[in-house]
Amino acid sequence: MENLRVLVVDDEADFLETVVMRLQRRKIDAHGVDSGKKALEIVENERFDVVVLDVLMPGLDGIETLKLLKQKKPFIEVIILTGHGSVESGLQGMQFGAFDYIMKPADLDELLEKIQQAYERKRLHEERHGLSGE
Amino acid sequence: MASKTELPLNTLQPYISAILIVLAALLLGFTNGPWYFAAGLIPALVSFLGTRELLGKVRKANEQKCFLDEQLIQSQKLAAIGELSSGIAHEINNPLAIIGQESEWVTHLLQSDELRDFKQVNELTDSLREITRQVKRCKEITHRLLNFARKMETLLQRVDVNRLIEDMTKWVERETKQHNIHIVRRFQKDLPQVVTDAPLLRQVILNLLANAAYAIQKDGDITLTTRLADHGQVEIIVTDTGSGISKENLSKIFNPFFTTKPPGKGTGLGLSICHRIIDKLGGHISVTSEPGHGTTFMIRLPQKGEV
Repeated sequence: MENLRVLVVDDEADFLETVVMRLQRRKIDAHGVDSGKKALEIVENERFDVVVLDVLMPGLDGIETLKLLKQKKPFIEVIILTGHGSVESGLQGMQFGAFDYIMKPADLDELLEKIQQAYERKRLHEERHGLSGE
Repeated sequence: MASKTELPLNTLQPYISAILIVLAALLLGFTNGPWYFAAGLIPALVSFLGTRELLGKVRKANEQKCFLDEQLIQSQKLAAIGELSSGIAHEINNPLAIIGQESEWVTHLLQSDELRDFKQVNELTDSLREITRQVKRCKEITHRLLNFARKMETLLQRVDVNRLIEDMTKWVERETKQHNIHIVRRFQKDLPQVVTDAPLLRQVILNLLANAAYAIQKDGDITLTTRLADHGQVEIIVTDTGSGISKENLSKIFNPFFTTKPPGKGTGLGLSICHRIIDKLGGHISVTSEPGHGTTFMIRLPQKGEV
C-alpha cells in the first residue's frame, strides 16, 4: 500500500478526524474533507485512489457526490459509509459504481481490508487501460 | 422443449427389446432345452439395463439442453430489449431537454413586470412547475435506461462469496428486523473463493435481498444458501416466504421495466440488471415460485470468471 492515497468525506467533524488519524497511524496517506463539494474540488487537483464517503450529508449528498466523482475520475474507487442508510440508498450507491460499503462506526481492520481491495481493483482497472497509476 | 413428445415411445424401447429377446430365449428353450432359455435371458437383461441407462442419459442431456436454450433465448431477448430502450432513451433525451429549458424560460418570463399583474399568473407558474418536475422525472428514467444499456466492464478479484453475502445481509437485516423478517444463513463453510467482479455481485445480492424483503412485507423468512455445485460452480440461493409470483409474471420477471410495484415505486430494472450482471460474470440466474408460498432465486457462478 506504498502509494495508496485515501480521501475520507464526512460532515461529522469528530468522526472524520478520528478515521483520518487512525488510518494515518497505520501509515496510510489519508486526508479528510467535510463535504461532497470539497471532495469534488480536491480530486481535481490531487490524486486519490480510494474515497471513503458518507452517504448522509447536508448539501451534496453521498449518492450525488458518488455520481459526480465517478464521472470526473472513473478510476477512483468509492467505499460508502452508512449510518442508518436505507437499503434503497445502498442499492443506488452500488448501481452508481460504489465498490463496497461499511457501517458506522467503522471497524478499522474491516475498513483497511476494504480499502486494500478497492485499491487492488483500481490498479487492475488502470492496468487494463494502460495506465500504471502514475 | 423440442423432443419431449417423442419420449413415451423411447421409454418403452428397453421393454420392447427385452421382451423380444425373452421371446427368442423361450423359443431357444423349447427347441434346445432350459439351459438355452437361461442363457438367452442374460442378453435380455443386459440389453434392458443398457438401453434404459442410455435413455436416461439422453433424457438428462435433453433437459440440460432445454435449460441452456432457455437461458440463451432469455439473454438474447434481454439484449434486444436493452438495445431498443437505449435507442429510445437517446432519441427522447434531446426533446426532453428542450421542453425543460423552454418551460424554465416561460417561468422566467412570467416573473417580468408586464406579466406580474396578469390574473392567472400563479396558476401558470404552478402548471409550469409541474411540467418541470415531470420532465425531470422523465430525464431520470432515460438516464437509468442509458445506464442500464451501457457497456458493463468487469474487473476480476478473488472474492469470498460467504463474506460478501454476509456483508450485504447485515445491511438489509437492520431494516428487515423491524418487520419481523428473519434471515436464515445456510452457508457452506469451506466454499472455495471465486474470481469475479465483487461490486457487481454485491449489487445482485442486494437487489435479491431487497426484493425478498419486499415480497414478504412482514413476518417471514429469507433463507440464504451457498454451496459448491456441479462442475465446480458456486451456487447462491435466495428463498423467501413472500407472496410469490404468478406463472404469467414469472416468465417476464427479468424483462426490463417489468414491475408489479405501484407506479413510481419500482423502476422494473432491478432484476434485469441482475440477469445482465450474472450473464456477464459467466454464470446464470433462474427463478422458481409458488404463488402464496414464496420465491427462490438461484445463481450459479463459475469459480473463475472470464474477463
